[in-house]
Amino acid sequence: MKDFLLGLAFMAAGAIVYLVAQQFPTMPSLQYGPSLFPSLIGGGFMIGGLILAISHVGALKGIGHGMTWRMDREQLRNTLLSTLPGLAIVFYILASEWLGALLSLALIMFVLMLARRTSPLLAFGVSLVAALIIDLLFSRYLLIPLPEGVLSIWG
Amino acid sequence: MDAFLQGLALVFNFQTLLVIAGAAIFGVFVGAVPGLTATMAVALLVPITFYMDPTPAIAAIVTTSAMAIFAGDIPGTYLNIPGTPASAAYVGESHQLARQGRARETLGTNLVCSMFGGLFGTLVLVFVSPSLAEVALKFSSFEYFWLALLGLSCSIFISIGSKTKAFLSLLVGLLLSTVGLDMMSGAPRFTFGIPDLMAGINFIPVMIGMFALNELMSFYGSSNEGRNVPAVHKDEVFSSVPKHLKRYWRNLLRGSSTGTLIGALPGAGADIAAWISYAMGKSRSKNRDAYGTGHIEGIVDASSANNSGISGAWVPALVFGIPGDSITAIVIGVLYMKGMNPGPTIFMDGGGLVYALFTVFFIANLIMLPIGYIAIRSAKVFILTPRKILMPIILCFCIVGAFAINNAVTDVWIMLIIGLVAFILARNDFPMAPAILGLVLGGTLENNFMSSMLKSNGDLLSFFSRPISAGLGAMVILIWFLPLFIRLYRRYRGAAQSPRTP
Repeated sequence: MKDFLLGLAFMAAGAIVYLVAQQFPTMPSLQYGPSLFPSLIGGGFMIGGLILAISHVGALKGIGHGMTWRMDREQLRNTLLSTLPGLAIVFYILASEWLGALLSLALIMFVLMLARRTSPLLAFGVSLVAALIIDLLFSRYLLIPLPEGVLSIWG
Repeated sequence: MDAFLQGLALVFNFQTLLVIAGAAIFGVFVGAVPGLTATMAVALLVPITFYMDPTPAIAAIVTTSAMAIFAGDIPGTYLNIPGTPASAAYVGESHQLARQGRARETLGTNLVCSMFGGLFGTLVLVFVSPSLAEVALKFSSFEYFWLALLGLSCSIFISIGSKTKAFLSLLVGLLLSTVGLDMMSGAPRFTFGIPDLMAGINFIPVMIGMFALNELMSFYGSSNEGRNVPAVHKDEVFSSVPKHLKRYWRNLLRGSSTGTLIGALPGAGADIAAWISYAMGKSRSKNRDAYGTGHIEGIVDASSANNSGISGAWVPALVFGIPGDSITAIVIGVLYMKGMNPGPTIFMDGGGLVYALFTVFFIANLIMLPIGYIAIRSAKVFILTPRKILMPIILCFCIVGAFAINNAVTDVWIMLIIGLVAFILARNDFPMAPAILGLVLGGTLENNFMSSMLKSNGDLLSFFSRPISAGLGAMVILIWFLPLFIRLYRRYRGAAQSPRTP
């Protein structure tokens, strides 16, 4: 079932890529323009997606025969938990400008450690030390301009 | 001779040796913690190597990857969980031995075989690549186009599992490679008006997303922490190694040579090298029945193969700029960043850098012995490192590492999006290696196609007008039709045999 849906998704993505590629400008001196490779890739997506969908069309029949496709509670919980790192990254992007890299990173680590049932004291200590080391390594040693945020008032 | 001495001087200095030692320890650590792969180790290392001189940067990558591939055997032996995918082929074998109380003996044999395999692959790299580079000097855009296509085709053909999924994975990589300004016309493609995308998608955030973020998401999506060390070990690390090597020296040589060859094929990394060598060893063994019950023979074959594969993958990467596996795909990007453009000319105007690289390979494999020994003795430390504490730290390294390449938040977004896509694809058994090869080789493929078309006024037949080009083209077409030929041959054999069976 998942493969069938992925096949359809690839077909849709292929169609979009193909259509966008047709809008790329062409130059009269070149027989093959900048749209050639993206068009081929879009076409490849559509063909590959079609093959994938067709080869798993049997999964649809299973649904028709009373087989349901749904997640149980643990699966749902695990899927939600797997989005945690992604959410943490979005949080960093949005918050690091005013909170600063050091605090944002420490907060991310602390929350993620708690999510896997680390003892709060250990999680607090490790995340603070790790954030300080990462900040020191990248900001002071490699001279990466990591946002300082609210901590900049201390200079 | 001067270049050789220059190369030695580049390696034998305090900074580079310190980097090698540090990278070895880092490699052991990442390899020995289940869920962290060698490719992930290298991807995490790249933002730091970005700020190093070329030799220590390359030394760090070579040492980390070699050490991680060996160290993957440590949790494999004790916990039956391979530390890296390259140890998966023989994890059952080593764990059975550990249950018999022979964990250290197994790991000791593993270590020596890994070192031998790595050195074997290095010797092939040292002796084969310069002569191959002389041939490659005659190559023009026509040959490079076919070579890139050959690499991409191999990556699909050699992948384990669905070929359609490998093909789609490859296309994802190729699509990413088209983002940015078109080389010929200067037209922006898939940039969505974002200035940071004009120069194309930087491959480092993609690598971090594909290998590190993807693994992190898998970790949070599973409730398995998997840590207890049931095996007791009172045995010695090296005492039985000479006996095993004397008995299985043929396996050692066969595993190393097979591993080097498979490593050199684009798209096939250390994991496939280990699987194939293990299967080959089993099929040719006199004690086939002992396999699966804790038989050291299979370990000799496969553990030498995965390390020789690491070295073998560098041959096409250095000579043609075509990566042999996902680690060398990252390395090619690093080489470009360091001004060491991979390709045949690297052997002509490297100014000692190539010799430095070869020396680094030897040191990385030799240092494996003492550091590996210490790692085996202190195996519990690595295995008991809780992933629930380690994974959040790695995530923060990913965020800062992706940002550090261009000091741009766009790269963090790219890492996030690629990580999500890779997570969905990997969960549905899409292989990741073709996607990376697509990203790295997409530009080579397109640019060489376009410049060939300009040279020949759009005549497609010109791809077959030069002898080497025609030969490479024929190989590509053969690879495309090979599955069809195999199917036809099987059907023909089946039809020929069926009348005889009642």
